[in-house]
Amino acid sequence: MVGAHLVLFWLSLVAYGAEAGLQLGGIRPASPRRSALFGGLLLHALFLGVRWVLSGHAPMAGLFESLTVFSFCTALSAFFLCGTEGTMSAWMPLSVLVALPQAGAALLDKRLTPLYPALDTPWFATHVGLSFLGYGLFAAGLALSWTYLRHGGDEVYRAAGRSALYGFSAFSAGMVCGGIWAFYAWGSYWIWTPKEIWSVVLWVYYAALTHLKFLPAGRGWPGWGRRLEMQATAAGYFVMLATFLGVSLLLRSSHSF
Amino acid sequence: MIGAVWRFLTSLTTFAWVGLFFCAAGAAGSVAMGRYPELFSDMDAQILVGWFARKGFAAPGPTLWLYGLLLATALLAVNATCCTVDRLVPIFRGNVTLRRLLPHVVHLAFLGVVLSHLAGAMYGDRIPGLAVPEGGFVPVGETGWVLELNRLDVAMAPEGYPRDFSAAVTLYRDVTPVARGVVRANEPLFHEGYGVYLKTFGPTPWGAPYAVFDANRDPGAVAILACSVLFTVANLLVLVTAGGDDA
Repeated sequence: MVGAHLVLFWLSLVAYGAEAGLQLGGIRPASPRRSALFGGLLLHALFLGVRWVLSGHAPMAGLFESLTVFSFCTALSAFFLCGTEGTMSAWMPLSVLVALPQAGAALLDKRLTPLYPALDTPWFATHVGLSFLGYGLFAAGLALSWTYLRHGGDEVYRAAGRSALYGFSAFSAGMVCGGIWAFYAWGSYWIWTPKEIWSVVLWVYYAALTHLKFLPAGRGWPGWGRRLEMQATAAGYFVMLATFLGVSLLLRSSHSF
Repeated sequence: MIGAVWRFLTSLTTFAWVGLFFCAAGAAGSVAMGRYPELFSDMDAQILVGWFARKGFAAPGPTLWLYGLLLATALLAVNATCCTVDRLVPIFRGNVTLRRLLPHVVHLAFLGVVLSHLAGAMYGDRIPGLAVPEGGFVPVGETGWVLELNRLDVAMAPEGYPRDFSAAVTLYRDVTPVARGVVRANEPLFHEGYGVYLKTFGPTPWGAPYAVFDANRDPGAVAILACSVLFTVANLLVLVTAGGDDA
C-alpha cells in the first residue's frame, strides 16, 4: 500500500502533463469537468488523502510533499477562478504551472517520513494548507494576467484581480495560524528568519497590489493602469516563488518550505 | 501644509511606495542575516528593543535594512490609520453599511497587531537556554522562580527520530511550588504571563538526561491573537460581502 499509493501520484502527473500538452497543442477541453486536468485533480486528491492516512499527518512536510501540494492547489485554483468560458483561455499557461511542480516533485525522494513532534499539531495543516492555497491562487494570477496581457478581456482581468485578493486572504489566514502555532511551540508569534521576513514581504506585496486597484489610472503613479496592474500580478508569482523555494534553497533558514 | 501632509499620509500612492520599500528592505535583510550570522543569530534570544539597542546601534551598516523595515512598518500602520480616520467620517455621515466599514475594521486590526507586537518588543522578556538535568534545579532569569525538572520522557521512532518528548516540571518561588505541569512540543506551561517551553534534550556527560527550556513573556500576546482573528474574520467578510465583485 505504501508504494502503491505513489501510482496515484504518477497518474495525476500523467493527466497534468496531458492537459499541458493538449493546451500547448491548441486542443481545449469542452468544459472544465471534461478535462484531463479535472481527472488529474481527482487522482491527486486521492493520492494526498491516502498519503495522509498512511503517514498519519498532513502530507505537507519536506520538499516532495510541498511541491505536490503546491501543484494540487494550483490545479484547484483553475476550477475556482478559471471555470468560465471567458477565463478558460488562461488554462494554457495554468496547466503548465500545475504540471511543473508535480514534475519537479517526481524527481525527489517520496518516502513517508515521521513528523517531528513540533510539527505534530493541527496548526501545521492549517498554516501550511492555507499558505499553499494562497500560492495556488497566486499561480492562477500569473496565468490570468499573462493571458490578459496577450489577449485582453474584462472577465480575465477581473478573475486576475480576484486571484490576488483571494490569494492574499488565504495567505493572511495561513500566517495567522502560523503565528498562533509559533506562540505555542516557541513562545513568540514572530521569529526572525529569512522565511518569516519573506512571508511578510509577500503579504505586503499583495496587500499593496489589492489596494492599487483603487488607484485612479495615471494619478500618483504615472502609467498606472490595467496593464501595469497585470504585470504586477504576474510578478507576484515570482515573489511567491522566492518565498516558497528561494529562501529554503538559496538562503539559510530554520523554517523550511 | 497640514493638508499636504494629511494627503500624503492617507494616500494609496504612499502605501504603494512604502510597501515597495518594505519589500526591498526585507529582501536585503534576508540576505544580510545569512551573511552576518554572528550579528543576527541571537535575535530571538531577547526582545527586539533590547537586541536593537545592543546590536543595531553598534553595527548600523549590516542592520540598516532593519531600520528601513521598522520605519516602513511604522509608516504602513500610520497610513492605514489615517486612511481609516479619513474615510470613517464620511461613512458615518452618510450610508453606514457593513461593506463600507469592513475594510476599515481590517485596517484597525492590522494596527492592533503592529501595536501589540511593539508592546511585546518593548516590555516582553526572553529567558533562553535554561538547561537542567533530571532531578535538578535552575533559576528562571530575574523572575525569582526556580525550575525543577522532575522527569524527562522521550519516545524514539525506530528511524532514530524523537517521536515525542515531554518534561514534568515544577516552578518554585523560594521553596514553595507555584506551578506544576508537563511541558512538551506545542504545550508550554503558563504561569503569571510567562510560558515555559521545552526546546531540546540530551544526555549529560555523566549519563543523566537533561532538558533545555526557554521562558518567554509577551504582554502583547493576547492582543495579537485577538487582532489577528479580527483581521481574518473581517477579511473573509469583505470577500463575502463583495460577492462576485472585485472587492
